[in-house]
Amino acid sequence: MPPIAATGHRRKVRFPTTNLPAKSSIATAHKTRPVNRATSSPSIGKMASPSQDPRPGVPALFTQPPPLRDPLVTETIDLQDATREKCLPFLKGIHSSQKEPFNACGVPTLQRDDHVGYLYDSLEDYPAGFVAMDSSRPWMVYWALAGLSLLGEDATRFRERVIVTLRPMQNPTGGFGGGHGQISHCAGSYAAVLALAMIGGEDAFTLIDRQAMWRWLGRLKQADGGFRVCEGGEEDVRGAYCAMTIISLLDLPLSLPHDAEARNAGLESFNSGLAEYLSRCQTFEGGISGSPGTEAHGAYAFCALACLSILGPPEETIIRHMNIPLLLSWLSARQYAPEGGLSGRTNKLVDGCYSHWVGGCWPLLQSALDGRPQTGAPETSVGSLFSREGLTRYILGCCQSHHGGLRDKPGKHADSYHTCYVLTGLSATQHHHYRTNSSVSSSKTFSSAFSWRSSPIRAEDNVFEKNDRLSPVHPLYVIPHRAVENMRLWSEARPLRV
Amino acid sequence: MEEEHSYANDPEWASVTPIPLDDGSDSGAMPLATIAYPPEYLEATSYLRAVMAANEMSERALKLTEDVISMNPAHYTVWIYRAKILFALDKDLIDELNWLNGVSLKYLKNYQIWHHRQVLMSSRTHFPTLPPKELDFLMEMFAQDSKNYHVWTYRHWLVRHFQLWDLPQELDDTHTLLKADVRNNSAWNHRYMLRFGPRDAAEPDAGLANAGDMTTSTADKGRLPVVDEELVDAELKYAQEQILRAPENRSPWWYARGVLHAAARDLEEWEGFVGMFVGDDGAVKSSHAVEWLADVYAKSAGGERRPRAVDMFTLLKEKYDPIRKNYWDYRIRMLDQVAV
Repeated sequence: MPPIAATGHRRKVRFPTTNLPAKSSIATAHKTRPVNRATSSPSIGKMASPSQDPRPGVPALFTQPPPLRDPLVTETIDLQDATREKCLPFLKGIHSSQKEPFNACGVPTLQRDDHVGYLYDSLEDYPAGFVAMDSSRPWMVYWALAGLSLLGEDATRFRERVIVTLRPMQNPTGGFGGGHGQISHCAGSYAAVLALAMIGGEDAFTLIDRQAMWRWLGRLKQADGGFRVCEGGEEDVRGAYCAMTIISLLDLPLSLPHDAEARNAGLESFNSGLAEYLSRCQTFEGGISGSPGTEAHGAYAFCALACLSILGPPEETIIRHMNIPLLLSWLSARQYAPEGGLSGRTNKLVDGCYSHWVGGCWPLLQSALDGRPQTGAPETSVGSLFSREGLTRYILGCCQSHHGGLRDKPGKHADSYHTCYVLTGLSATQHHHYRTNSSVSSSKTFSSAFSWRSSPIRAEDNVFEKNDRLSPVHPLYVIPHRAVENMRLWSEARPLRV
Repeated sequence: MEEEHSYANDPEWASVTPIPLDDGSDSGAMPLATIAYPPEYLEATSYLRAVMAANEMSERALKLTEDVISMNPAHYTVWIYRAKILFALDKDLIDELNWLNGVSLKYLKNYQIWHHRQVLMSSRTHFPTLPPKELDFLMEMFAQDSKNYHVWTYRHWLVRHFQLWDLPQELDDTHTLLKADVRNNSAWNHRYMLRFGPRDAAEPDAGLANAGDMTTSTADKGRLPVVDEELVDAELKYAQEQILRAPENRSPWWYARGVLHAAARDLEEWEGFVGMFVGDDGAVKSSHAVEWLADVYAKSAGGERRPRAVDMFTLLKEKYDPIRKNYWDYRIRMLDQVAV
């Protein structure tokens, strides 16, 4: 058996073993959080009494409880109150664990070096207590590389190490599992393909057996238009988003393999019935659920809207399949005050990771509302429909861990999942994402998915410092634009013959 | 003390050649995000790879899956393999459910467990009808975490699979949970599906009636083909009762909107009720009532009450929900567009 323990010169991760990172897959975004006040630190809220004045520059909206409060107390309200009390000292900029400097808006600076260090460490060797992430190693690689790219680091330095990490996870029958000997999974394959896109290069791209990937994905396609996450696994919106991400980036043929079971139901293409399936996931609240009939949820909303935006231009696909006024209302209601952060569901708490899952829906909806792209720079836009200021304050004020890395909320440990998606959310508040008439791709299929551009928002109401601006990432693929384009162009130049 | 079990020393496993882990460490380059696995886990998973490669359906393989699950329940592969073995060996699935109950309560956040349960339960041969204690166990789970997304997803599937929409316990359970916490939005969602979800097994499931039908405009998603007005009235009454308990709770307000929309009835019919929460003296008891009035005014005939819609949105923007200022501004802009 190969030696698993770290070799002498390998760094150990800095996390305590009690700090288990989020478990596998995008599913972590909808992990449920049982009431467990024992694990959070109740002392944090008390370290600064609410009567203490906020720093100058922090508006009352972010320091006061909401104006309306029902007398009836239930578990939901208990948790909501506890969260607010924990956040307030951080929002006020007066918590002892926050690092200087603060800007004129009372917002702490982004601790870049700490977060970069944290993510580099997160790629090293974990102690035995982390056995639960044995199926999430492709994710650990993706989260760290995406986070590092956002922070301006060069992911390509990991090229060789990424390749040797992912190689044993690929199955000869197509796709990547969560580890060696694990069956192929949409989530693991998504993370692996995106990681390979980020490091780039011939060796990375040729590692993927595209022909086998196409056949395997064909076995996941379901008669109702959706996708299972793995053979024998559940069918949900994640499966659909991950599959279409892989298909479009690798320019896999759209027609289903001849042995695909969905063909028996009359489906011919990976696209068949997919938009309709996603439409059936919209709920009476307006949000989007993981599968038809369940509760509207932020992580699934992103997967569904991003998937629709891969299938075609958002002003066509999203408008045609979603009740927009209802969706806007639900999405907008995900932002809370005073926290400023975003929640995943009605009457649930804010969590830093929704900065991406919910925050990342906004550019897609905005593009849908703006309509067909104009030639040149966008002249008119519906503009930002959420509070960029609130989200920025929550991220920089509440989500930065003292020792580096970003977190769900004060009192929680940082992990690479949250570090990645909190940073992605911060970047989304700092950039305007829009589509142009020119696609990187020369093919008609998915051309709109490869037509996104971004420009930094230089508004006077920015509450972050110039140096705190992150790099932009592609709003559908959540990796740098260049990485998206290179993988697509490389694949287009090597069409698969099937 | 009993000695640790070792597969290598177990005669039952002597015929199997384990497949050691390849985490990339042998490559010479250092792989990323490696784990210093406990030796027991490394050994068990190396035997797992071997029996899976041979597609072995046996008692010993079944025991092995339990061992791996006990060390790492997030290992999705082992669950799928386990389900295959259970069916291949025609095991007693009630025993499996009982074992699963304990595992579920131990690993509350795990979601592989719930898909596994669904795979078992979907066997009509083993479960032609709903097992008697199934719903009670779900309530036991909800006692630990009343908003557990995976448990609710499973329960929704269960309702559709066994056609439980009108089973009294379904509605009773949602009511029990709402009595304990009227802000449990998962319970509200479940109730909506019980009452208004599509029931035709020949049609794919949907959160909203008509959804996915390309001939229907998205604004008509959710409209019922046949409306039971008595049922609608009863649900509206229920929503009002729950709103009175806590008027600033978003869940029942949006439930009521969904009910009215399903029945193609106007928000206007609640104008009197909603007005109770928005006093003329500016005493507002619910921001959701303010929003409701804004929507009623926005749709007023001839647009004569549109200025009052602006007032309501402005109230939300400036006082009751200012974090959503940009959205309320957008709603005000949209009023003008309708006017044109």
